[in-house]
Amino acid sequence: MKLRYYVARRLLLLIPTLIGLTLITFIISHVGGDQRLLGAYINIHSKIPVSVQEQELAIRFHFNDPLVVQYFYWLAAFLQGNWGYTQTSIYSGSVVSAISLFFPNTAVLAVTASILSGVIGIPLGVWSAVRKDSLGDQATRVISFAGYSLPAYWLSLLLILAFSTSNVCSCLNIFPISGTVTMSLIGGANWYSNGISYPTHVLVFDSLIHGRIDIFEDAVMHLVLPVVALTYNTLASVLRVMRSSMQDTLNQDYIRTARAKGLKESTVVNVHARRNALIPVATLLGYTVAFLLGGVIFVESVFNYLGIGYWTTQAMLNGDVGGIMGATVVFGLTFIFANLITDIAYAFLDPRIRY
Amino acid sequence: MFGLQNTSRRSTALSARFHEYRLTLKIILESPPTMAGLAIVLAYTAIAVIDFTYPNLIGVQNAYSEIPDYMNPVPTPPVWPTHPFGTTFPGVDLYQAIMAAIRVDLWYSLLIVVAGAAIGIVVGVLAAYSGGYTDEALMRLVDIFLSIPYLPFTIAVAFVLGRNLDNISIAMAVTWWPMYARYAYGQALSVKENTYVEAGRASGVAKWGIIQHHIIPNVLTPIFVQISLDLGTVVQAFAGLTFIGFASGNPLLPELGTLISNGFQYAVAAPWVVFFPGVVILIFAIAMNLLGDGLRDALDPKNRT
Repeated sequence: MKLRYYVARRLLLLIPTLIGLTLITFIISHVGGDQRLLGAYINIHSKIPVSVQEQELAIRFHFNDPLVVQYFYWLAAFLQGNWGYTQTSIYSGSVVSAISLFFPNTAVLAVTASILSGVIGIPLGVWSAVRKDSLGDQATRVISFAGYSLPAYWLSLLLILAFSTSNVCSCLNIFPISGTVTMSLIGGANWYSNGISYPTHVLVFDSLIHGRIDIFEDAVMHLVLPVVALTYNTLASVLRVMRSSMQDTLNQDYIRTARAKGLKESTVVNVHARRNALIPVATLLGYTVAFLLGGVIFVESVFNYLGIGYWTTQAMLNGDVGGIMGATVVFGLTFIFANLITDIAYAFLDPRIRY
Repeated sequence: MFGLQNTSRRSTALSARFHEYRLTLKIILESPPTMAGLAIVLAYTAIAVIDFTYPNLIGVQNAYSEIPDYMNPVPTPPVWPTHPFGTTFPGVDLYQAIMAAIRVDLWYSLLIVVAGAAIGIVVGVLAAYSGGYTDEALMRLVDIFLSIPYLPFTIAVAFVLGRNLDNISIAMAVTWWPMYARYAYGQALSVKENTYVEAGRASGVAKWGIIQHHIIPNVLTPIFVQISLDLGTVVQAFAGLTFIGFASGNPLLPELGTLISNGFQYAVAAPWVVFFPGVVILIFAIAMNLLGDGLRDALDPKNRT
C-alpha cells in the first residue's frame, strides 16, 4: 500500500473515533438524567432566570424525545461550540473559554516534559545499550525501573518536601511550593487577573511580551518542580524502549558487516545503529502523550498549577458536569491527534509498516 | 479401548505441560530480581490475608477502620514501639493504618485488573475468532475506548457513578478492558491459525467450544504476564484517584491514597505522613514490575532452550 493510501485510510478511521468520543461524552452527561445536563448548560452569570433557562434548554435539547434524537441535538450544539458552563473554585464561565485559558499552561508543561525526556532519554538509552551490563548501564536501568513504579503525585510531594519546604537546610528551599507565580510580584500588572494572564495565558510568554523579566524568572521557577516530576515518569519509558531497541539493532547482521569492514565504532553506533533503533521510540509518542495527560492531573493538583488537569480535579470535586465533559473531550482530542501523528510518522519512517 | 487411548493422550499432553511449567519455574528460580519481586508480592498478600483473618497478629486493632484520636489530631513523629511510623491526622497510628490499607488497595486493584482482563479476553478472542463484521465492529469499539487516555476517562466515569471506592474500581475496569481486548486479539489471531484449532473445527467442535478449550487457554499465559505488569500501575493509579479526592465518603477508611491526602496539610512539619504510605505503594509497584518482567522473560521462547 502506498503511503498516501495508508494516510487516507488512517484519516478515515478518525471519523468513527471522533463520533465515539462525542457519544461517550454524551453518555457521561446524560447518565444522571436531564438534571445533570441542565447542570452543565445553565449559565449562572446570565441575567435570564434559571427557571426560564431550564425551559429553553428542555426545548433546545428535546428532552421529550428519545435519547438517540437528543444525541443529535446535543451534537449540533456541541459542534457549534456550545460546550456548556463550568463552575469551580478556580474558574466560572463557559467551558470553551476555560479550556482556552487552561490548555496552554498544560501544553507548556507537557511539551517541556516530553522534549526533556527525549533529549535525556534517547542518548542515555543509546549509551546504556552500548555499554550493556556495565555499572553505568545497571544504574540507568534502576533509574528507568524506578520511574515506572514511582507515583507521579508522590514524587511531586517529595520534591516539594525536598526543595521547597526542606527541614534539613533552608539552602535547599530553592523552588516555590505551588501555583504559577508569586502573587506579590504580579500584583500591579494590568494584564493579569484571577490567576490568568493575557494575551497567551501562559505566564512565561506573557511576562516576556510585557517585558517583565522578574516575573518571567519567577514563572520559570514555578515550572521547574512540576516539569521534573512529569519528566521523570516519561523518561523511564523512553529510556527503556531506546535501550532495548538499540540492543536489538546492535545484534543485527548489518551491524556486524559494518564492524567487519573496519568502520569506527562511533560511526557504527551513531550512523548505522541509532537511526534504525529510533523507529520504535517514535511510536512511543502516542503513549507518552497518554501518560503525560494522566500525569498532569496528579502533578497539577499537587502543585495547584492552573492547567487542564487541576481544572479536571476541581470540576470533579465540585460536581461540575460541564468541566468533566469538556476535560474528557480535550483529553480525548489531544490523544486522538497524537496517535494519528504517531501512526503516520511511523509509516513514514519505516516503509515496511503498512496495514 | 477408546477411553484408554484418551487417557494416555491426555497424560502425554499433561506431562508436556508439566515440563513447560517446570522450565518456567526453573528460569524464575534462577533470577534473583524475580524472586525478590515474588517474595515482596507474597509478603503483601500475606498482610492482606492476615488483615482479613487475624489482624491482631500484625498489631492491627481494626482492619476496617482507622482509630482516630480527636484529642491529639496533630501528627506525631515515629516512636518505637508504640508508633513505629508515627501518627497521621487525625491522631491515627500510621503503622496500623498502612497495614490495614494494604488489604483495601490490593483487593480493589486485583478486582480491577481481573475484571478488565476477563472482559478484554472475551471481546478480543471473540473478535479475532469470528473475523468479518464482528471483528470490525468489536475492534472499532475498542479503538474508541482507547482513544481517551484512561485516567481522565476513569475520572469522568467515576464522576458519573459517584465518588466512592467501588465506583472508582468499576470505572477503572471499564477503561482498562480495551487494552486487554487489543492484547488478547493479537494473541488470538496467531493462536487461531494453529493446526489444532483447524482440527477441532474439522471434527465439528462448536465455536464456543473451540474458543473455550483451545484459544482462551493459549491466550491466557501472556495475558497473565500483562496482568502482573499492570497491577503495579493500577495500585498507583487507584491510590492516586483517592489521593485527589475520589474517596470522599469515609475519611477513616484505611486506604493508601486517602492516608496521603489526610496527612497532606501536615506534610511540611511531619514528612512521614506522606512518606510511609507512598513507600508502601512504591515497593509494591517495584515488586510487581520485577515479577512481571521475570515472568515475561521466563515465557519468552528465546530464553527457553
